[in-house]
Amino acid sequence: MLETLQVNIPSWSDLGYWRPELTLLSTFLVALIGDLIVRGRRPWVPFTLALAGMLLALGFAVADLGEPAHTVMGSLIIVDGIASFFRILFLVAGLATVLFSWTSEEIMGVKREAKGEYYALLTLLTGGMCVMAEARDILMLFLSMELVGLTSYVLAGYMRTSLRSTEAAVKYVIFAAVSSGIMLYGLSLFYGLTGETTFVGIREALFANPPHPYALLVVVVLVLVGMGYKIAAVPFHHWAPDVYEGAPTPVTAIFSVGPKAAGFALMIRFFYTTLVAGPEAAGTSNLLRLVDWPLLIALLSAVTMTYGNLVALRQTNVKRMLAYSSIAHVGYILMGFLLLTSDGLQAILFYLLVYMLMNLGAFLFVVAINNHLRSEELTDYAGLGFRAPWLATMMFVFLISLTGLPPTAGFIGKFFLFKAVLAQEWYWLAILAGLNSVISLFYYMRVTKAMFFTEPAESDGAAAPLAIKPLEYVVLAALCIPTIGLGIWWGPVRDFADQAIARFNVGI
Amino acid sequence: MAIRAYQTLNEMLGLPMSSMLPLAAVGSGVLTHFTTVFIFVLFGIFFAALALGVARLVRPNNPNPNKLTTYECGELPRGSSWVRFNVRFYLIALFFIVFDVEVIFLFPWAVVFKQLFPHPQLGPLVFWEMVLFLAILTVGLAYVWGKGDLDWVKKLIEREPAAGEPAAGESATGELEEVTSR
Repeated sequence: MLETLQVNIPSWSDLGYWRPELTLLSTFLVALIGDLIVRGRRPWVPFTLALAGMLLALGFAVADLGEPAHTVMGSLIIVDGIASFFRILFLVAGLATVLFSWTSEEIMGVKREAKGEYYALLTLLTGGMCVMAEARDILMLFLSMELVGLTSYVLAGYMRTSLRSTEAAVKYVIFAAVSSGIMLYGLSLFYGLTGETTFVGIREALFANPPHPYALLVVVVLVLVGMGYKIAAVPFHHWAPDVYEGAPTPVTAIFSVGPKAAGFALMIRFFYTTLVAGPEAAGTSNLLRLVDWPLLIALLSAVTMTYGNLVALRQTNVKRMLAYSSIAHVGYILMGFLLLTSDGLQAILFYLLVYMLMNLGAFLFVVAINNHLRSEELTDYAGLGFRAPWLATMMFVFLISLTGLPPTAGFIGKFFLFKAVLAQEWYWLAILAGLNSVISLFYYMRVTKAMFFTEPAESDGAAAPLAIKPLEYVVLAALCIPTIGLGIWWGPVRDFADQAIARFNVGI
Repeated sequence: MAIRAYQTLNEMLGLPMSSMLPLAAVGSGVLTHFTTVFIFVLFGIFFAALALGVARLVRPNNPNPNKLTTYECGELPRGSSWVRFNVRFYLIALFFIVFDVEVIFLFPWAVVFKQLFPHPQLGPLVFWEMVLFLAILTVGLAYVWGKGDLDWVKKLIEREPAAGEPAAGESATGELEEVTSR
């Protein structure tokens, strides 16, 4: 019996390459139990546990950076360059969110909410995103997406008594159910076409027997729907503005960065592995021509960035405006996917890292202001430049970086993306993206204008300086300094992305 | 037989062999299974149509409004179906699913466990993996228990409401007030 069992025997030693994820998962359990022991009365217990767990996981992730690629759990998981890169991105985003949640009135201010669950779920969310970047099998792909999804719904509805938060959670669940269903259908057809569940096996079967072009097109589009939902690309974006607006702002901050980057990580591994044999072989693939992949992605990207920017123009709620702006940024990042080349991949990785810094910064600024003003309306931001000068200045840096102006990291990120698009001679897309950046300048600068050039309303205490907590300064500065720094000296991070691509494994 | 039927089907649809959707492995196992499924679907549609069609021919036609009302265990259906259910029913459903899934995972494990246990590498792996799985579920159960969700009437004690907040116990009206005051 045993001899006939064709199992790839997983060994315990494999798990050594999975230390960050194991740390996060055990932190999740320990934080839950810890919160139970103190009966939810001491929120610092789960907070400290989550913080320590994330720091430890980050330490492991950094220590494992130079390791060659390894599979974990048989053939379900692979830890390679791309996975290590995204692991660090997610852990930094998770750390910043945990720290900022501690200062947030929305999270900590309400007495009866379960704060232990909140920090535990944040750790689990981070762990799930890491697994998304590592999945190399259809089953693991779906499982990791659901892990991230399920934790996200609970986090979105964390403010139980707020109608908006509950609505956000319900909308999120319904949209996710529909799009996962569609994606699952696409994945089952992939299995039907090839009879394989691993990405590598799918590619080999597809190349050995190229299927009918329309069959492959349908399958690719169905899978793109699921991933497009995760990254909130138009036309699968409808959940994003409402969920982002309704969820507690620290949760929105990580939603706009984490699951989105994880969706991109999944797209990178899935499509670079199944449709081409890695970034170096991109130009030679006949499968790309079979489904007209470049046109598909160019249309998706053009529609996404234009829609996001045009709708952001009309928003008066800063949180909602940033939600639409994050949709627009997905459009920019999708430009890097045009031909699945290594230039495009480098641009995507660099931009995602930069986007993580600046978007997280902008959202955390909204958290900080919400703590004091209890409002996210643009009109209430009047005069913040005088009431909280340092914070407003940092927000200004994040905003010009989001626009893509020098000397910030956003400029360099956009430069790489445009370079990748122009190298493939997609001029109309590059021009459209340029026009879009100009549009975005208007609504980003509207926030700046409100903060620095508008007098606050004449009412009691409306012009008094805000008492900003030290932790808010520290976290925002930790995001702001690299946002400027990478605009001046981007070499190390570009090399970091290059190394990740060089060790991107599509073959094991 | 299945492969033959499948090929006939493709010819009927006028598709050349080279453009068939599951071209990769006709006859190599995977796709013949799908063909079986396809034939089952066809047969299912045919059978349903046949049964309903024959019934239509032989049954008496005697419409009555009572026949169209919602069946509700002998009660007269009243009001809209959009009513609020007590959230506790959902909690019970959730617990049920958790332990149901646990059993579903335990069954296949138990079937192969006896054969795998003597294996030097797989034996301990298989055993401890299930222990870990059960331990994680136990943590979940302990958490739910500790939070008082296993009690039919959840105690909302020990959480005195903060100033300006409605009392935690009177949920429905209190929450509505809080929501409308936003």
